[in-house]
Amino acid sequence: MDKIERRQFIKLGLVSAAGVICGSFFAFADSDEKIDFTSGDDLKKFTWGFIVDTTRCIGCGACVRACKIENHVPDTFFRTWVERYEFDKHEKIRVDSPNGAIESFKENNFDESEIVKAFFVPKLCNHCLNSACTQVCPVGASYESPDNVVLIDQERCVGCGYCVQACPYSCRYIDHNKGVADKCTLCYHRIHKGEAPACVNACPRNARMFGNLQDPNSKIRKIMQQRRYGVLKPDLGTNPKCYYIGLDKEVK
Amino acid sequence: MKDKKHIIILFSIVLGLLIIGFAVRLFLQPSSYGKFGNYRWDANKEIQMKPVLNQNSHTCAECHNDIYQLHEKDAHYNVPCVDCHGAGNVHVAYYKGDSLKGITKEQAFLEKEYKLEGCLYCHRKLKARPSDFPQINQEEHYKFLRVTDSKTKCIECHSPHEPVFLLTDVKKSRIHPVVYRCTECHDKKPEKGPKEVENHPTIFECKDCHSKVVEDFNSKPHSKYMDCRTCHLYHKENETTGRIYKNGNAKFCLLCHEKKSFKDEKYPPKIEWPSHIGNSKIIAKSDEKICLNCHMDKVHQMDLKVKENPHEVNWIKNHKTFAAENKAVCQRCHTVNNCSSCHMKTKPASHKDEWRKQHPKFAANNKSSCQTCHMKDGCSSCHKVEMPHPKDFGDTHKDVVAIKGKTLCFNCHKQEFCDECH
Repeated sequence: MDKIERRQFIKLGLVSAAGVICGSFFAFADSDEKIDFTSGDDLKKFTWGFIVDTTRCIGCGACVRACKIENHVPDTFFRTWVERYEFDKHEKIRVDSPNGAIESFKENNFDESEIVKAFFVPKLCNHCLNSACTQVCPVGASYESPDNVVLIDQERCVGCGYCVQACPYSCRYIDHNKGVADKCTLCYHRIHKGEAPACVNACPRNARMFGNLQDPNSKIRKIMQQRRYGVLKPDLGTNPKCYYIGLDKEVK
Repeated sequence: MKDKKHIIILFSIVLGLLIIGFAVRLFLQPSSYGKFGNYRWDANKEIQMKPVLNQNSHTCAECHNDIYQLHEKDAHYNVPCVDCHGAGNVHVAYYKGDSLKGITKEQAFLEKEYKLEGCLYCHRKLKARPSDFPQINQEEHYKFLRVTDSKTKCIECHSPHEPVFLLTDVKKSRIHPVVYRCTECHDKKPEKGPKEVENHPTIFECKDCHSKVVEDFNSKPHSKYMDCRTCHLYHKENETTGRIYKNGNAKFCLLCHEKKSFKDEKYPPKIEWPSHIGNSKIIAKSDEKICLNCHMDKVHQMDLKVKENPHEVNWIKNHKTFAAENKAVCQRCHTVNNCSSCHMKTKPASHKDEWRKQHPKFAANNKSSCQTCHMKDGCSSCHKVEMPHPKDFGDTHKDVVAIKGKTLCFNCHKQEFCDECH
């Protein structure tokens, strides 16, 4: 009798332990809400922001090349490009971006001993909260998505080019193959599949970062709490969401 | 009331236009317009549906995990696969079996080798690059290393997946106080040291703490061409700390000292690799620290006069006593082939029941292999006569039989064997 009782006790113990483990598994599984990226209401939980760390950029142009391939950007146009600023002893400034830096930079513009300060600044669409480009569109093709990304409806666009004129950062262009305006979409097709934008994915120095500004625990918010940053042309009131670390007065 | 009719006509025209206007709007306006703002909501979904072209490095790791692990440890760990190999969407689609798209194997091929230009995109010396980022002037670099062919690709010496050959994992490298070089502030190396100049700001140099090592190092030829940071790779983290990597990998030494067709033959001293270390059966070549195994004790003095074979002539007899006390010293080189590869406790697998019959054939070709265990006198410990029999044994065997007796022959030969001739 004694033996059987012990066996039953062990059995009971094992079954109850298994029950507790299974139960807790389901309890935790339910607590994780799944986000449906095709529903507009769920998209309102996101505000995508972008950080460019100019102190880390090495001007290799990997981002430019990746963007070109990912978005089929026509030659001579760029959705993202890298600018080089060089200051010499006599306060002369040279800014250049040969072919958008798609093949990086070849040599210094000034003599090496003359240069006192030099750095790279990668540029892309700022995805402004009060964007000038969406306001001028006469056909409602240029719009701001619920997760605050400035996009273009390519079927509605008539290619008038008002938005290209309106953008103070020169981030838009007319794609002459399609006859419509086009611009950086923050790789809208990638970010909703769990991938980083092509330029962020390609950056070998982590100079580009990307994340949700509404989430207080996101990496981008933590960097913004630690580092000093600025935006381009703040006086225009466009309220850009692309933040630059180590920005210089001359960068516009 | 004469104009009543006119007013009715006017109002009906306006009403009619309004109705037509609404009807036109109903037909022409896309159904999803205005759902979340003044735009077509379906456009948002269309943009979301576009295919992803540039692949994530984790996707590459699903198949190429060995290279991914290698790459993950070294200095290039932050460089994603797409930067050198291209977008890779076709490649992934082909090898995941998306045959519907009609992709050929040629289209799925990704660039394997990279051009000289590709490395220079990141590593060409430019004033605008952060000073702590490794960058080279190609002409100076080739002149320094005495590379004669200017079209030599970087990958002839540097493996792109592990360019620096660090012994320390990059992510685990040591935090160390900032060490300055004079040239970080001065254009040329100043004639006077920082302590000789008045009011010079205090700086750390390697020799402040590691004086003996630096002194040894400076007295030897290596110091003309390299400094501490060439081997002990240094990465500045912020104003006060940096990371120091141990860099003693054999491949790192070979960057300068391996014999190659495009390099100057004489200087710096070259060795043939891997024949320099001899028999691969005895020493494992995959060992990362293999150069330091012999050249380590005085690596900073660069006293490299180590004999080709570090063992004495009668080493096989003497090694027993040495190995008993200094087993660790043996294992510095003999990592794969340790004691047990020679001194097996059980019989080798080949020595089965029929081995006695088979062994003459084997022994004829590999006599030395037998002697690793049967070392005392080789064959003669059993056979008592020379094995295999010499050519003139037919004439001389009479004397052997007279001394040692007939029974010795019957170990191998049948008893009738003598009668066949005699």
